[in-house]
Amino acid sequence: MLHSLDQILTAIYFWGFASAAVLCAFGILFGRHPLNAAICLIGTMLSLAGIYALLASPFLAVLQVLVYAGAVMMLVLFVIMVLNQARDHVLPRFDKLSLIGAALPVLIGVLAVATVRHDHAALTSSATAVRAGVEPVATALFAPTKGYYLLFELVGVLLLVAVVGAVLLAKRRLDADPGTTDHPAGDAANGSVAQAGQNGKDAHHGH
Amino acid sequence: MGIDPVAIQALAAAIFAIGLAAALLRRNLFIILMGVELMLNAVNLSLVGFARTLPGDASLIGSLVPIFTIAVAAAEACVGLAMVICITRRRDDADADAYASMKE
Repeated sequence: MLHSLDQILTAIYFWGFASAAVLCAFGILFGRHPLNAAICLIGTMLSLAGIYALLASPFLAVLQVLVYAGAVMMLVLFVIMVLNQARDHVLPRFDKLSLIGAALPVLIGVLAVATVRHDHAALTSSATAVRAGVEPVATALFAPTKGYYLLFELVGVLLLVAVVGAVLLAKRRLDADPGTTDHPAGDAANGSVAQAGQNGKDAHHGH
Repeated sequence: MGIDPVAIQALAAAIFAIGLAAALLRRNLFIILMGVELMLNAVNLSLVGFARTLPGDASLIGSLVPIFTIAVAAAEACVGLAMVICITRRRDDADADAYASMKE
């Protein structure tokens, strides 16, 4: 059977990206430092973006790089640094109790592969599959006959709620008196903002 | 058309299993969160892989669902990291075993 150059290159790229993804995933599982694990996770996400591009989904590949490898992992790295977890120490990997749980992931992985292998004949790539570039995806997403655009709006609301919730959770105290915070030596801008908030509250109480 | 769908599903299963192991076996809060992210990524890959086996316009749906998954995962990471900030503020420790006060 004669393979074209295209097929050979696709196979080389796919197995390269796949092995990189799995290696980086193992890097997270066995990582000795949160920063190392985060860099490995970025490696996995970039490899998966390459695989999406191979699978004729360039829009998802770009989204994966922008949102996951760019925004989400930047946030994770930022929080690790802010919380001073980047100290020069090594994490313990596993303890005895956690090794008991190792059976479950192994079982799930084996079961998933066995299930897919079982229906091998039904899984063949379709010759008429549409290349999911920006235009077909946008047409399908905002088609008035389907409800995806409503879902899109709902996801916007969800993101807004998540941002507000994150600010509420991570803020030190909502009704903090600026004079008695844990960091009295906060910078002037912060102090003035807190002062303004206090004034606003006082005005509210005055009503 | 190139890549064997079974290979894609096997890769997705492997990444999901590694992510599950990282979330279950490790004790560091950040690595638990990263394990969850890894599982979400594996599910996205599985969706795209299955969508490529569908004919015509149906194959686009597999690119629509991961868009929402990515958005929800971003929201999840946002709230999850805020919670990590919240609880590491109580005690400067990112070890999940340090917060087992319900056990005592």
